[in-house]
Parts: sequence; C-alpha cells; structure tokens
Amino acid sequence: MSKVQLTNVKKTYPNGAVAVRGVDMEIQSGEFIVFVGPSGCGKSTLLRMVAGLESITDGQIMIDDQLMNDISPADRDVAMVFQNYALYPHMTVRGNMSYGLKNRGMPKEEINQRVSDAAKMLRIGDFLDRQPNELSGGQRQRVAMGRAIVREPKVFLFDEPLSNLDAKLRVQMRIEIKRLQRRMNVTSIYVTHDQTEAMTLADRLAVINDGKIEQMGTPIDLYNDPATLFVASFIGSPQVNLLPATFDGQHLISGDVKLTGFTDLPVSTDLVLGIRPDELHLDDGGQFPMRVDIVEQHGSDNLIYGGILGAMNEGEEETEFCFKAGQDMLPDLESTLMLGFNAERAMVFSKDSGERLR
Amino acid sequence: MLNAPWYSAKTAANVCAKHPLVDVVGHSRGRALLVHIVLCMGLVFMLSPIVVIVASSTHFTSTLQQQGLQWLPSNQAIQNYSLIFTFEAGFSDQITPLGMLKNSLIVATSVATLTTILSLLTAYAIVFFRMPGKQIVFWFVLVTLLFPLESRFVNTYSVTASLGLINTHIGIILPVLAAALGTFFFRQYFLTLPKELIEAAILDGAGPLRFLKDIIVPLSVSRAGAIFVIAFMIGWNQYLWPLMISTDDSLYTLVRGIRLLGQESGPGMALVVITMLPPFLLLLAFQKWFFKSLAAH
Repeated sequence: MSKVQLTNVKKTYPNGAVAVRGVDMEIQSGEFIVFVGPSGCGKSTLLRMVAGLESITDGQIMIDDQLMNDISPADRDVAMVFQNYALYPHMTVRGNMSYGLKNRGMPKEEINQRVSDAAKMLRIGDFLDRQPNELSGGQRQRVAMGRAIVREPKVFLFDEPLSNLDAKLRVQMRIEIKRLQRRMNVTSIYVTHDQTEAMTLADRLAVINDGKIEQMGTPIDLYNDPATLFVASFIGSPQVNLLPATFDGQHLISGDVKLTGFTDLPVSTDLVLGIRPDELHLDDGGQFPMRVDIVEQHGSDNLIYGGILGAMNEGEEETEFCFKAGQDMLPDLESTLMLGFNAERAMVFSKDSGERLR
Repeated sequence: MLNAPWYSAKTAANVCAKHPLVDVVGHSRGRALLVHIVLCMGLVFMLSPIVVIVASSTHFTSTLQQQGLQWLPSNQAIQNYSLIFTFEAGFSDQITPLGMLKNSLIVATSVATLTTILSLLTAYAIVFFRMPGKQIVFWFVLVTLLFPLESRFVNTYSVTASLGLINTHIGIILPVLAAALGTFFFRQYFLTLPKELIEAAILDGAGPLRFLKDIIVPLSVSRAGAIFVIAFMIGWNQYLWPLMISTDDSLYTLVRGIRLLGQESGPGMALVVITMLPPFLLLLAFQKWFFKSLAAH
C-alpha cells in the first residue's frame, strides 16, 4: 500500500527537447492510474521517470513520502511490465520470474512459494519450465506480469503492455489485469494510447498532451465534463463531433447553420462546438442537415457518418458528423437526415486555447 | 528500372508467378544452375590444395623433388607419417613435432580464449555503458583492422622486447589479441538486443557484473563460439610473428616447424596434414554454433 507523489516533475533531454513540462500528481495507495495520450506526448517518459529509468531534470518524485529522485531503479521497489515483455530469452519461465528475487538474496523456499503462487494466479503453472520462445504472446505477457507480481512491489508500472497482442486477447488480458490489480490492491500506473483501455482500466485517468497533464479525473468525469478540446476529442469512441462556429450574441453560427440555446459566449472569437455522437437524435425540426455517406453496422447500434450541409468548413475538409443510432436505423446513402441535439449537453470550446467555455 | 514508379514489387511478383521456370521460392531454375556452378567452382578451388597436400604426403621425397606435388596418392603414407613421431631437430635445443603441437595449442587456445573474452568485454562496455567518447573508442578499435600485425612489426617488436617477452609464449600471444573483428561482431549483436532487456534486469536488481554474467554471456555463447574458432585459426596460423619474436627452437609451432622437415618432402607434407587437423576438428565441433551465429546476421 503505497502513495506516489509527483511534484512539478520535468524532463528535458540534453538536445533541448522537452518531454515533460511540469507534472503534479498525487496517486493514492492502491489506486489504478492510467496515463493516456497520443504517441510522443511524454506519458512513457513520465512512467520511466517513476521507475528510475529516466533521470529527472526538475521536480520531485516521492513513493511513500520518500524522495526517489536519486534512488536507483532497483531500490525503488517498483516492478515494470514492458510492451515487448522483455523476458530473458535464455531463461525458463521460472528463471525469469525468480531472477529479481534471487538477486535480492531471498531464500529459495520463499522464491519457490512466490513463483508458484503467482503462476497459479496467472494460470501459467504448466509452463514454468518452458522458455519464452515456446510461449504465445499472451502467455509471454502473463510471464512478464508474473515477474512483476512475485516481487510484491510498492508500485506496478505498465508500459503499453497489451499493444503487441491481438484485439481479442487484448480485451481478455485487460480484464485480467484489472482483476489482478483489484485482488492485489497494489498502486499501479498504466500507460496506453488506447482510450478504450484507459477508460475501462482506470480508477483515475490522466490525459497527457505535449508533456503536460490536460486533465485528470475518473474516466466518466472526463467523458462527461472534459476541460479542454483535446480531452473531449481524445476521450470517447466514436470521437466527439466538432463544428467550427462563431457567436453573434444570440446564435451560434456555423456557415448556414444557426443554432439557438446558447448564451454568455464571447462574440467574434473562433469557437468549436462539441456534440457526442450519442447526443444527436433524429428530429424533423433539427438544425443539422446531414448527408449520409457511410453507415457502419456494429450490431447493437449503427454509426452513421456524413457531411453537415451548409456548415462552416475547417479549411478544405468538410465538417463531418457521426450519429449513433439503433440497429434499425438504415438510411439510404446520399439521403439527408435532419438531426437535433440538446443544447444543454453540448460543449463549446475556444478554438485558439482549446479551453472549455461551457 | 527498379526505381521506376510503375515497377512495383507486386508487378515483379506477378511476373515471377507466371514464369514457367520459377519455383515456389521465386528463383528460376537457370539461376539455381548458375549458383550451383559457381559454388562447385569455389569448392574445387578451395579443396584442390588439400587434395594435393594429402596425396603428396604419401609419396617419396625424391618423387616430390623431381616431379613436383602430386594429385594422386602413393604408397609411402606409413613411412612418412611414422617419421613424424620419431623426428627431432634443432640447433641449440631440440624440438619434436609433439612439442610443436604443444606450442601451437598453447598459442592458439590462448589467442582464441583471450580474444573472445576481450572482444566481448570491449563490446559490452561500448554498447551498455554511458561513457563519453565511446563512439570514438569504437572507431579506434575498428581502425586496428587497417593495421594488421605485419604492418606494425617494428614497433610491436620493440614494445615486446622492452617488456622482456622475447622467447616466451606470452610474447607470441599478446600482440595477436587486438582483434577488432570480434569486438565489432559482438557489438552488432548487442545492439540488436532490446533496451528493455537491460531495463528489466536493472529493475530486477542486476548490476553491470550480474547483467554480464546472467544475461549477456549466456546469450552470447554461440557467437562467442564462432569468434573462438576464428581466433583459434588466427593464432594457429601465426608464422611471421613467432618467427621474429622467438629464437629458441623449443618455441617452434607446427606451422613454423614444417620447414624443419622440408617443404618438398613426404614427411613435410605429412606434417602439413597433421597441422591442418586441429583447426578442422575444432570447426567440426563448433560448427553448429558457428553457423547458427553467422546465419543470424
């Protein structure tokens, strides 16, 4: 049970590239935190700084109120699961799992006990004497987790551990990781670029962009109440619909589309309206005429994609919406649907700063 | 033509698939034939000296001196080969072929072992340690390839002499050790190892020595085997350097000692055959490792 605290943590590489621009975060004991963001946003660097694999340019990292900045990775009592598993190829599964314990001088009986307990938990007991190249991707990932579990560390660190697995296995392992973490109740930090993984695993999510935390909170808070345009567009699948617009004092205007129900917005600044695909509904008096381009049938529901007729365009590209409808809804291609929305639930952002205005 | 945008890999594949003389791998039979002809020529080129040596080792010395080396075997094998076991020569002190074999083994095994260890350690330091100027160090190591021992005899001799190593095994061995090839070979392999491997080991509490002992050495065994074989042959085949650095007859190696029996003599040829055997046997013993590690590149 360990608390992790980051205070104004920064990372600048010797070539001047800034990877992390000052991160403050407090992770409670037993909490499952997910860092999510596009590739190159600094999320892995931040994780590796907690592990001690990257040096810290500025700021403090504390684990259990103990300053970690200058403590070696081996002495931080953290265990990490890597994307490519990083198993020792010449050692058996048992060898891989017991190596860290052996190096710490643990007695043999205890090592064996821990390895067999972890193997049972991960259902890899039958493979203990095999070598990694005799295992499937999913089994290797379990071994990598086993290697972390036997250590009984203060903090688990996961660096995109499921990225190398196929889609089905990924979902399966995702559930397993969550179950395992609940059961062991170990503070965990998990890095991913996959927002579904992030939403489903996290107790709290940190959306990271360009080396900064854009927003941190529970997955559902971030979905319902994103603080910035970046968070709104990153969280949620299918992605939020975005419409460039301006405010004239009474209406939100986007090309020929005039929307009512908005007040208290800055006049003559560039704005962006955000509406989640499931917030749209069919409405003969609706304000969005949508030309149907593609209908994706996902089983329980259909995703209908198309351009909004008359709307202001972002550069060359036509403004496209996604409308989430039931499985019965199968409009003809090229037909026009009239869509309405609830202005109360819509979000408005400043285009320049990305800040949420309402 | 290959750079033309219309010539895609797909078109190439289609052409190949339609060609009647193309097997599954995509090579035409004509090309396979050509490859085999070239390989057979290479084989003849490389094997004929060995055939000549083995055949000549079964002839009278007089035949060899009058008619030159022979392609076909004769009936003097037993006489020639048994002479080797009774032969003894030397000016100040005596050396037998068995003594030469011992010297050759000491030199070659030491060169092989030390070269392998040194190359592995050098590559380990260059790849895994954060040290200033390690690229420069690596290039300096590579540059030694441009200066083989023969090109630096004079300086090497004076250094060896000043260390008092003339007429010693160490004097024969030391200057041969600087083998950039091994360092390069190990370095290239280490660079292919995922960096997460070392990070996982760090988190598992392994320091540099443990990482070397538990991860790097076991992973490098087959490559070390290949380097060992190559270095063994380099050590075994040393001729000029031992000739320069040792005046004692007791330090004769096999390669150098052939002269004592005469190059164009039956027993001399028999000694050549014996001299070729140990590296050949070593290669046989190591061939699995040898080819495995070379094929991986």
